[in-house]
Amino acid sequence: MIASQVDELVQLADALHAELVVVPGCPVAIDDPGGVGAAWADASAFDVWRAEIAGGDPVSTVIVAVWPDAHASAPLTGMSAAEFARRSEWPFAAWYAALGAAAARCADGGVIVALAERPSPLDCAGWAPESGCGDAVEAMVRSLARSEGPRGVRVNAVTTPVRLAPHRPIPPPPSLPSFPGRIDVEVADAVAMLIGSGTSGVTGTVVHADCGRSWR
Amino acid sequence: MTESRVVLINGASGGVGRGIAQACGAAGWTVWIAARRSVEGTQVAAEVTARGGSGHFVECDAAVAADVDRAVATVIATSGRLDGVVLNATSGLSPKPVVFTDVPIADLQDHVAVSLRGLHLLACAVHPHLRTSAGSMVVLTSEAGFEGKAKLSVYAAIKAAQRGIVRSLAREWGPEGIRINCVAPLAGTPAMDSAFEMDPEMAARVLGRNPLGRLGDPETDVGPIIRFLLSDDARYLTGNTLMADGGSCPIT
Repeated sequence: MIASQVDELVQLADALHAELVVVPGCPVAIDDPGGVGAAWADASAFDVWRAEIAGGDPVSTVIVAVWPDAHASAPLTGMSAAEFARRSEWPFAAWYAALGAAAARCADGGVIVALAERPSPLDCAGWAPESGCGDAVEAMVRSLARSEGPRGVRVNAVTTPVRLAPHRPIPPPPSLPSFPGRIDVEVADAVAMLIGSGTSGVTGTVVHADCGRSWR
Repeated sequence: MTESRVVLINGASGGVGRGIAQACGAAGWTVWIAARRSVEGTQVAAEVTARGGSGHFVECDAAVAADVDRAVATVIATSGRLDGVVLNATSGLSPKPVVFTDVPIADLQDHVAVSLRGLHLLACAVHPHLRTSAGSMVVLTSEAGFEGKAKLSVYAAIKAAQRGIVRSLAREWGPEGIRINCVAPLAGTPAMDSAFEMDPEMAARVLGRNPLGRLGDPETDVGPIIRFLLSDDARYLTGNTLMADGGSCPIT
């Protein structure tokens, strides 16, 4: 499992009995206006990291989850450049590097599952960077499904709002009372389903493990 | 058609942006072309005026905060208001084929700077003015953002990210009377020509799936759709993505 070092993902790795390979953290300080350029100046470090991961033995299953440090919701137009970089630019680059490493490492006939944070459309105010990143991961997964499909690799995504869900969702209420779901139950179940043999014909698909809050 | 409007279109010195400007000019609107290329941008402004509108050019790099702020300030100082904004600028690397596992991460920077940071910068700069005018913003995205692309994976991801951000902005801005939507066009442009040259099989793939069997014209096929979204005729539309692609992308 290639993932950020955050509590929820460590918990998920335990639940799935997966080895955790940590994605480098974001170098941009939230209050540093000059940090945006500095972060991109260090982008080549991602290339080195990706090459190290890709150079390991092939594996049949790779789970990828890039989750930045938790943030409070905030309107997009109230964000500084540094905050936007931390919540949008860096996660975008990190996801691309991590999924590229996963594809390089995944054996022929293997399976990749991306686990992305994504607020449901009804609850997405204040989460513009996360909405954008969630949709970007969907597109990355579909791109990889196309490029890796000829060698039998399936690539799918699970989305979850576990860290983004409002305490009081606007009506209508979520379909399941367990909303927004638990990382080691609903989310782990969805990931396990997609890495299992019962989905051998499924690729380029996104499963919203959000207890019925998203319908598209 | 609704009353005359003042609109700002970035990345409008050519391609789809130029077509949007021309379509808005044909409606008699005041159209500001914001772009890096002054010669081409000034020419498009003249084309707007020739169609009955009032065309203006302001030099602007969509990824530079000072440029974006200055462009918007120029519009307000000259035209007195801002009713509509179109984000059309995109990285020059967009049509370049890539292999997902090999892309140097630093190469993502130009895409991110123009399309993600550029969206953040433009949204921040125009927000107070669109609130005053109860205006509208349109972001140009792509069918690639829905489907993914094996050889254009960075571009596809960027376009998807824009759509997600717009979905959130629609909910944040709606209570203030501001609308924001996306349009995913498929049009014959210099960028598309370049993509076809880099990937000779692409033309057959693109046209073979299109039920109308042709690329759209930026001015007469795509421009009017954006003009509609900028107008009061679309006053009940927000948070949406319209596919202006001749039915090419089967997402409905």
